[in-house]
Amino acid sequence: MSLTTFGLKKSPWVYHVNVGACNNCDIEVLELLTPRYDVERLGIVLVGSPRHADALLVTGICTRQAEPRLREIYRQTPKPCVVFCIGSCAMTGGIFRHAYHFSRPVDEVIRDEDPNAIIAYIPGCPPKPEAMIAGAAKALAAL
Amino acid sequence: MSELKDATGADVESLVLARVLAALGGLVLEVEEQTPERGWIRVDPARIREASRILFEDLGGRLATVTGIEVRDGIDILYHWCLDADHYVATVKGLAQAPAMAIDSVGQDLPAADWIEREMHDLLGAEFTGHPDMRRLLLADDWPEGVHPLRRGFKVPKVDSEGKRETQEWAGAPDEAARKREFSRPRRPQPGRTLINIGPFHPLQEEAEFFQLYCEGETVVDMDVRLSYNHRGIEELSTRMTWDQVPFLVERVCGICSASHPWAYIRAVETLCGIQAPPRAEYLRTIVAELERLHSHMLWLGLAGHFLGYNTVWMWAWKYREPIMDILELITGSRIHYANNRIGGVRRDVSPDLYGEIRKAVDSIKAPLELITKAVIDDPVLHARLKGVGVLSYDEARRWGVTGPTARASGVPIDVRRDHPHGAYDEVEWQVITQTEGDVFAKAVVRCLESFESIKIVEQCLDQIPDGPVAAEVDHIPRGESCSNYEAPRGETFHYVRSDGGPGPVRHKIRAPSYVNIPSFRASCIGQQVADVTIILASVDPCYSCTERMARLVDAQTGRPMGTFQDMVRASRERTRRLRKEC
Repeated sequence: MSLTTFGLKKSPWVYHVNVGACNNCDIEVLELLTPRYDVERLGIVLVGSPRHADALLVTGICTRQAEPRLREIYRQTPKPCVVFCIGSCAMTGGIFRHAYHFSRPVDEVIRDEDPNAIIAYIPGCPPKPEAMIAGAAKALAAL
Repeated sequence: MSELKDATGADVESLVLARVLAALGGLVLEVEEQTPERGWIRVDPARIREASRILFEDLGGRLATVTGIEVRDGIDILYHWCLDADHYVATVKGLAQAPAMAIDSVGQDLPAADWIEREMHDLLGAEFTGHPDMRRLLLADDWPEGVHPLRRGFKVPKVDSEGKRETQEWAGAPDEAARKREFSRPRRPQPGRTLINIGPFHPLQEEAEFFQLYCEGETVVDMDVRLSYNHRGIEELSTRMTWDQVPFLVERVCGICSASHPWAYIRAVETLCGIQAPPRAEYLRTIVAELERLHSHMLWLGLAGHFLGYNTVWMWAWKYREPIMDILELITGSRIHYANNRIGGVRRDVSPDLYGEIRKAVDSIKAPLELITKAVIDDPVLHARLKGVGVLSYDEARRWGVTGPTARASGVPIDVRRDHPHGAYDEVEWQVITQTEGDVFAKAVVRCLESFESIKIVEQCLDQIPDGPVAAEVDHIPRGESCSNYEAPRGETFHYVRSDGGPGPVRHKIRAPSYVNIPSFRASCIGQQVADVTIILASVDPCYSCTERMARLVDAQTGRPMGTFQDMVRASRERTRRLRKEC
């Protein structure tokens, strides 16, 4: 295991990207930081810039306007990094997949940018905070 | 149920409608009285500005929103005016005649119509003569010019369950040339001004939005916002669903208003069918909606504390909000998307065994809420930090058509729950909280005190809830149109539906509260210090997934981006720290 992967697994720093969500996954992500779930005790820290992040928490359907920005954010994130697609919308477009403003599922956009990207999926509408913690734990164990 | 009446207004039943018709006089072409609270008036489209002036100034109306519908002769433009004191919604129709599809802009006189006219220009291709700023609002930069998704004949290729489109060649396919056109570019700052960009992605903004603040020194002199990052096209999606599927979709307009949007939609459909939900269903809807308001107000208090550098308030408010989330999960099955509302009633009954649990949860947050309220109202630093900051005056509040706590903090006493009675709100004792100052402090106070009212409402509902069925039978949805509203935690959400007797709506217009509250920044932020802007922006509890669906600061001389949102939050916190020492 390389030093960077060890660092990532020990204490993943996450950056939250909303690319067109209904806000619910985002609230549940913030919920993770507050006293009941308090993921900082597990070493997970929310950071203010993708350049500091080990993982991207992507929520929402990836709208046409947000797609080029999502690519830019992924390019700015140091590698290795894990992309978490949180919620049905980020995975497939969910209930909004037939919408005219829907671009492509998040994983396709990221794969397009980097074919070797590490992508983890946390399904749910929205996934419960417990599910997000479990998802993060599984993804990190697989690295 | 509805009938056409002659234009003189002599035989309308409602006194309010008669008064509106008398004031409009010779402008009226046709009148339809749907229910004692809903009237539809067709006016001479050439004189739409005059009609709007009469409704706003002489009758004290509030422009809730404007709906555009493509009809045979052009685009029908529907101005929904709420006469809150009279419990009435009067819709004024004007036809934008094809082929020009043009009508005079109301937005040039009344800022409340500014965004919505831009939106109709995007989505329907209507032209508004005299509108000062017709740049894109909702569609992406690469959306081709001249393609309007709400026009008839617009088709989106099918998408499979993996999220793949069957073809990449369709009317709305990305057009790289459009990206470079004028409408997608931000305005350049004038010499001597600085442009500060906020967004589109920032950790403190849960959602993507892009604000641009034009500054002279530390003072904000102008603002701009670019939407579209969150635009999902729900209105178009809704017309491809059935009546019963739409509540699940509108629930996902916004995660924190997921009881409010379906309720507004369902009220509109129920008005159209002329059915009434059973009393038990109305009580159950009220309980869930008030629990949602409680958790939403606590969420805002926490975030406001976070912006000011009071992270303790954030952690506390979110910790004490948890019992409410638990109780919502217990009675609806989900922490957030409740899916308990349906046309005619509610989907699931709540067992009386759970009343005790609900009471216990609501009881458990009383003491912490009092503690937080006292901490907010009595703290000298917060007084120094929030009083007189971001004032939205009574007149401005009316002109921008703001709703909810934003309006009530400016002394506009509107609350859909009281003004347009429904649910169990007229059967329980509660008060509409208003303040007169219009500053950020007043907005915080309104939200704190309103939470106590919500607790009162829930408790009384539990005492009085009747037994009986929870849903009424619905045969079919007849032809016609209808509109309705509900007081979401952020303000009024307004829905308009139109039916052709088919399986789903042919037009569904959704206007979420933030859509009218966010543009009022132009009234409240201008002349303020950069350090105060974050909290002013946060004070209306903005919800961008609702609004669609951004600001940045730029150096006035060089045009280079100056600060990041983070710098601003830092400046905001430093100011709090400085004031704390002085106090």
